[in-house]
Amino acid sequence: MKTTSEHPVAPEEIMAFFDGELSAADAQAVAAHLDGCSACASLVSQFRGLSQSLTRWSVAPVSQKLENAVNDFAAKASAKSKTRKPSEPFRRIGGVAIDFSIWNWKLWAFGGMSAVAGVLVGIIFLLISYEHRPAQQNMAMMMSQNRGEETAGYAPPEPLKDRMNNSLSAPYAMATQAPSSGGAPMMNAGVGGSIGSDAESAPIIARTASLTIIVKDLTAARTLLDAMLAKHQGYSAQLTVRSAVSAPRSLTASLRIPASDLSNAISDLKTLGRVERESQSAEDVSQQHTDLAERIKTARATEERFRSILQQRTGKITDVLEVEESIARVRGEIESMEAEQKGLEHRVDFATIDLQLREEYKEEIAFTFADFSMSFHNAFVAGYRNVAETVTGIFLFLVEYGLSITIGLAILFSPTFFIWRRYRKARSRI
Amino acid sequence: MDSTSRRSSAAEPAGECSDEELMVAFSRGSQDAFDELFLRYKQPLFGFFRRRVADEAQAEELTQESFLAVIRASSRYQPSALFRTYLYAIGLKILSAHRRKAAFRACFTGLPDAYREPAALGNLETEYVLRQAVGILDQLEREILLLREFEQLSYAEIGELLHLPVNTVRSRLFRARLALHNLLAAPAPTSSAEQARIEERA
Repeated sequence: MKTTSEHPVAPEEIMAFFDGELSAADAQAVAAHLDGCSACASLVSQFRGLSQSLTRWSVAPVSQKLENAVNDFAAKASAKSKTRKPSEPFRRIGGVAIDFSIWNWKLWAFGGMSAVAGVLVGIIFLLISYEHRPAQQNMAMMMSQNRGEETAGYAPPEPLKDRMNNSLSAPYAMATQAPSSGGAPMMNAGVGGSIGSDAESAPIIARTASLTIIVKDLTAARTLLDAMLAKHQGYSAQLTVRSAVSAPRSLTASLRIPASDLSNAISDLKTLGRVERESQSAEDVSQQHTDLAERIKTARATEERFRSILQQRTGKITDVLEVEESIARVRGEIESMEAEQKGLEHRVDFATIDLQLREEYKEEIAFTFADFSMSFHNAFVAGYRNVAETVTGIFLFLVEYGLSITIGLAILFSPTFFIWRRYRKARSRI
Repeated sequence: MDSTSRRSSAAEPAGECSDEELMVAFSRGSQDAFDELFLRYKQPLFGFFRRRVADEAQAEELTQESFLAVIRASSRYQPSALFRTYLYAIGLKILSAHRRKAAFRACFTGLPDAYREPAALGNLETEYVLRQAVGILDQLEREILLLREFEQLSYAEIGELLHLPVNTVRSRLFRARLALHNLLAAPAPTSSAEQARIEERA
């Protein structure tokens, strides 16, 4: 809006003066001008008249129904806010999971699935935190009682008991306690110990452990490892040493240690360096062993019957040969099953430790200009190839589907345009 | 005009809680605080919707929806802005969503009767005339004018709500007022010479 020598105040400022939006100094200047300018004073009168006209646009009072509905809802919300507080850990986990997911959606490179999983985890934790807080406490009490019952029978040492309760399965927990208990599981029969009938009711456990250890000197650690294997009467089923350029040296081994000595062996291994990862597991092979024993027993009985037939009966040569073939077949099956049984017993007698030793490694700068120029060249060629493939791909896509897309768009254009016009028209009137 | 000019704590009588204090108290579980807030804003907010939506029942529904939104979001409320601005921001969002949905439905079913029949707009002829005149204005200018004249928001508050600079708010409001004045042929007792001077001045 314009100001002139006759009207040094812009009309918009007069309106702002009317609305009380000017600073004190500006308001004073405008008021002084209005005193001597009838045109500008008329503008103010016009604004005032307009406001007065608009006051006639009155609105009916709010209905009682609305008041009741809102008040009811507010009362419920107020009561909930007093009683339902989320339990802090679950609320935090839920919140973090959802925050991460929202952030993750923005980075599609990390994948939508992880974001969905994060949202689900977050919602689950939030629901748990809101709905099952008393249940959590009950559950915690029940769990502590159950743990008490489980451990009461054989009372393991305190540190081991904690680990067992927290992470190990019942068979493993029982197996680790066997030396001090009467009903010994078969894995504790010692090296070469047979799985006898006195222990038929006891579980047969095959134990495995996995360790990743960072050592300072791999050569020294290898020597100590050999000494430790000799000490525990174990052996290395498989061993690989890697020594690549610009990478730390590493040793991967599958160790077999007498099951009764597994805990000591793991303790000794941990002295080699810093433990980066450790896990232990126990597999119950009782059912498998019993099945094998029964099958061997049946096969032996069958073999015995064939032999008695061969000794007592006489007949044609072909019949005799047929019986001998049957005996040979059954014998082969028995030997195969016995080998399998021995292997199973060996797995039980000798626990497996999957060991990985990695040497501490300090990365060194090994950069030469030749490397860079070659890498740059390769990157440039790869980039050129990618651009060419992309452009070609787009071109081929358009050639293949362009006509179909154009026809589809042409078909959709008319109804879309019609709906869009109606939508715009409705928006302008609503 | 409705008693919509509910200013913040600075304008409150001594001893009376400001809107922001009441909202904070409600977020901590005080039902009385919400009752007071509802008492203060039920009519202004209903007026806000009623002047923008032709159907009275729909306006009531939107008012209820806005208060429910305030209640649901109460635990996250931060008194960083005036409660009044906060409330009208919620109202504008809900109104925008309603218009979008209603327009989409109207694409297929046509406009509801309330938008077509003048009788449904109100009993008073003046109300009908005013609604028609305001409806002719540009959408943004209409919104600015209504927020200023009926909700009594300052230029800065309008700018914050509509994401506009204050100068833009001022110039668009000026244009809206002039346009509405011309549409209504304001009954101000001005002579033709004075009217000519005003138009020349504008």
